[in-house]
Amino acid sequence: MSSLLSVEGVTKRFGGLVAVADVSFDIAPGELVGLIGPNGSGKTTLLNIMSGHLFADQGTIRLDGEPCTGFKPQRLARRGLMRMFQLTRIFPRMNVLDNLLVGGRALGLHVDEARERADALLEELQIAHVRHLDAGQLSGGQMKLLEFGCCFMRTPRLALLDEPFAAIHPTMKEIMSTFIRARHAEGQTFVLVSHDMPVIVELCPRSICMNAGRVLSDDKTSDVLAAPAVIEAYLGGAAA
Amino acid sequence: MLTGALAADLAVNGLVTGLFYALMAVGLALIFGVLRIVNFAHGEFYMVGAYAYTIVAARLGVPLAVALPTAFLFGAALGWVVERTLMRPLYANIATWGLMRDEYAVIVTFGLSLLLVNLVDKAIGPYAFRAPALVSASRIVVGPALMSGQKVAAAGVTLVTLAFIALFLRFSYWGRAVRAVSQNRLGASLAGIDATAVSSLVFALAGGLAALAGALLSPIINASPDVGAFPAIKSYVIVVLGGMGSILGAFIASLLLGLVESFGAVLVSYQYRDTFGLVLLILFLLFRPQGLFGERGREV
Amino acid sequence: MSGDIRLRREFIATALLLVLLALLPLVQRDVYWLGVLVVSAYFAILASSWNLLAGFTGQFSLAPAAFAMIGAYGAALSATYYSVPPILGLIIGTGAAGLIGLVLGRIVMRLKGPYLALTTLSFAEIARLVASNSINITRGDLGLPIAGWFNDRVLWFYVFLGALAFVICGLYLLLRSKAGLFLEAIRDDEIAAARSGVRIVFWKTAAFSISSAAAGFAGALYAYFASLVTPELGLVQQTGLVVSMTVIGGMGSLIGPVVGAFLVYVTSEWLRDVGGWQLVIFAALVIVFARLFRTGLWGLVTAALQPRRGKPA
Repeated sequence: MSSLLSVEGVTKRFGGLVAVADVSFDIAPGELVGLIGPNGSGKTTLLNIMSGHLFADQGTIRLDGEPCTGFKPQRLARRGLMRMFQLTRIFPRMNVLDNLLVGGRALGLHVDEARERADALLEELQIAHVRHLDAGQLSGGQMKLLEFGCCFMRTPRLALLDEPFAAIHPTMKEIMSTFIRARHAEGQTFVLVSHDMPVIVELCPRSICMNAGRVLSDDKTSDVLAAPAVIEAYLGGAAA
Repeated sequence: MLTGALAADLAVNGLVTGLFYALMAVGLALIFGVLRIVNFAHGEFYMVGAYAYTIVAARLGVPLAVALPTAFLFGAALGWVVERTLMRPLYANIATWGLMRDEYAVIVTFGLSLLLVNLVDKAIGPYAFRAPALVSASRIVVGPALMSGQKVAAAGVTLVTLAFIALFLRFSYWGRAVRAVSQNRLGASLAGIDATAVSSLVFALAGGLAALAGALLSPIINASPDVGAFPAIKSYVIVVLGGMGSILGAFIASLLLGLVESFGAVLVSYQYRDTFGLVLLILFLLFRPQGLFGERGREV
Repeated sequence: MSGDIRLRREFIATALLLVLLALLPLVQRDVYWLGVLVVSAYFAILASSWNLLAGFTGQFSLAPAAFAMIGAYGAALSATYYSVPPILGLIIGTGAAGLIGLVLGRIVMRLKGPYLALTTLSFAEIARLVASNSINITRGDLGLPIAGWFNDRVLWFYVFLGALAFVICGLYLLLRSKAGLFLEAIRDDEIAAARSGVRIVFWKTAAFSISSAAAGFAGALYAYFASLVTPELGLVQQTGLVVSMTVIGGMGSLIGPVVGAFLVYVTSEWLRDVGGWQLVIFAALVIVFARLFRTGLWGLVTAALQPRRGKPA
C-alpha cells in the first residue's frame, strides 16, 4: 500500500511538556480518517506540525513519498495539502467570491477557471446568494462554509479539517458532510479532527485516537471507540 | 585615548542621561504592557510638561517646587483624557477597526502627535522658551564628573520618582492591578480588576512621568514645539531593547543607552551619536525582538 | 459589491478627477498656486505609493518620505557627479529607492504593527541623519542643487499629473490582477493567505519594493522641479502629512490618496493666508477619521451614494 501521507516518529516538546510523543501512522489515498482524543491530547499540535505551522523536534512527514517536514504552509498548499482551521480564518474585507479566488489563483488556476470553480463551490455549499458580500459580514456558519470551500478550489491531495462541525447549525453540518461524503466517494483523502462522535462514526471508517501526546489506538472506528484505553482516556478510570 | 578619569566622567554622565531617559521609557513600557500599543505621541507629553513648567514658573512666577508637580499633573491629565477619548476602540472591538487594532493605534497616536505639536506651535509660538533652573550653581562635582547644578537636581528628583514608582508597582493595590492586567487582561478582569480603569491610570501615569522629564530638562533643553521628538525616539529604542512591557528592562536599557551614547560619542562618532540607538533598535527587532527581559509573544 | 467592480469604479472616479485637475491651469494662472498644485500632485503620488503598502497590503511603514528623499538624492547625486540627463536621473532615483525598499522589505518581513512602524521609522531617521551629515557628498542641510528641467510651471503641473496618472494606472493594473487578491489577502489574514498557497515573502517584498520605487519616483521628479534637494524631504513630519492625506482621503481605495493629497495641501496653503491653523485642523481630522470613519472621505461618499445593505437572514 503506497501511502499518501506518512507520519514517522513525530515528537514535539514545549519546554518540559511533551505535546506529541513519537507519533506514527500512514494514510492511504482515498481514506477518510478521524483524529480524536480528549482536550490536551496533542491533536491540534500534531495537526499544526502536519500543516507546517509548527516545527517538529523529531520525526519526518512525507507526502506522496516525498519528505515535507518543516515546509511552510504555502509550500504545502501548493503540494496539495489543505488545512481548515478550528477558529475560522477568512479574509473579512474581501468579498466571498474573492475569498475563494485567492486560493484558486495562488494555486495556479487561470481567472476563468478559478471563477468557474468558485461558482460551482458556492452553489454546492449553498452560499451563492452571498457571493458579493464582504466575508466579514457573513454569519459564523456561513464563514465556516466559506473557509471549507476555500480548501477545495483546487482538488487537494489531502484535506485536514480541524473541528469543522464545531458550533454550527445542523443544516450547515449536513451540507458539509454531504460534500465530504461525495468527494470521498470520488477518492478524496481526508483527516477529520472532531469531538462530534456521531459524525466520526458516520463518516470515518478508520480513526486514530490520541491521548497525552501518544497514539492510543489506530483502527476501525467502531473498534477504537470500544477500546478500554480510549474509554478510560475520555471518561476516566471508573468508566473503563 | 580613553583614560580612567575620562571613562569615569563619561560613565557618570551616561548614567545620569540614562536616568532621564528612564522617566520617558518606563511610562512607555507601562502603556505597552497594559494596552499593547506603542504610543507615538509620547514625545508630546514630554513637550507639554516642558511648556507647563516653563510657563507656570517663568510667566506666573510660581515657586519651582510647585511648578514641577504641576507639570506632572498636566501630563497626567492629558494622558487620562487621551486614553478615555481615543483608546476605546482598542478593547471595545469596534467593527470597523476590529482586526487592525495595531494600525489604529499607530494612526491615532501619530495624528495626536501632529495635533499637539502644531497646536502648541500655533497657540504659543515656534520659538524656544527659557525656563528657570532648579539650582543655579553651574558646576557641581559628582564623583569623577563635573555637572551643572540643574542636572544634579534633576537627577535627584528622577531617582526619587523612579523609586516611588517601583514601590507603587510592587506594593500598592493599583500597582499590583497594573501588573496583573499587564500579564493577562482577561484574567485580571475576571478576578475583579477594572481593566479599563487600569488603562486610564497607566496612560495618566506615563503622561505624567514624560511631562516631568520635560519639565526637569527644560532649563537645559528649552521648550519648543518639537522638543519631544528626540526623547520619544530614544524611549522607543529603550522599550524595545528592554523588552516591551518590562519596567525593569526599560530602566536597565535606559541606563545602557545613556552609557552607549556617552561612550560612543567620544569613541566612535559625535555626529552620529543619535544613530547608535536606532541601529540597536533595528538589530534587536530583527534578532531578539523580546529585548533583554521581555517575553516572546506566541503566534496563531 | 465585487472587488473588481469596486476597483473599476475607483479607477474611473480617479480618472475623472485627474481630467478635472488637468483643466485647472485654464482658470488658474497664478505662479504661486500652480506651485501649490504641483506639490499636491507630488504628495498624491507619494500617498498613493504608501497606500499600496499600508492600505492594500496592511504594512504600516513610516518611511515613505525617506524613500522620496532617497529618490531625490539618487537623481541629484547622479546629476551632480556624473552629469546624467534628467530621464536617466529619474530612473536612477526610482531604481535606488526601489532597491533599498526591496532590501528593507525583506529585512522587516516578520514584523507587524508597532514593531514594523518602529523599525521603518528608525530606518527613515537614520537615512535622514546620514544625508544630513554626509556634508562632503550631499552638502548636508545646505542642500544639493540640481539643474532644473522645465521652466514653465504649467508644464511642470502637467508633467506631475502625467506621472500621477502613470502611477495610478500602474496601481490599477497591479491591483486588478491576482497581485491585488494576494496583497489584500495578506492584509486581512496572513496565516489564511499562507494556507491558501500565497507566497507571502515574495508578495510582501514586492509590495515594499514597488511602493518604495514609486515614492522614489515622486522624489526624483520633485528634485528637478525644486532644483534643490535637502534632507528635509525625509522628515517624519512629511511622512505625517502623507499618512494624514491617505487616512482622510480613504485608505485602501485607489482614489483616496489623490483626493486626500489635493484637499489637504491646497486647503493647507489656502488657510495659511487666513490664519494658519491648517495643520492643527488636519491632525484633528486624522484622529476623527481614524476613530470614526476608517474608510475616509471616499468611504463616506460611496456609503452615502449606496443603499444600505443589511445582514442576510
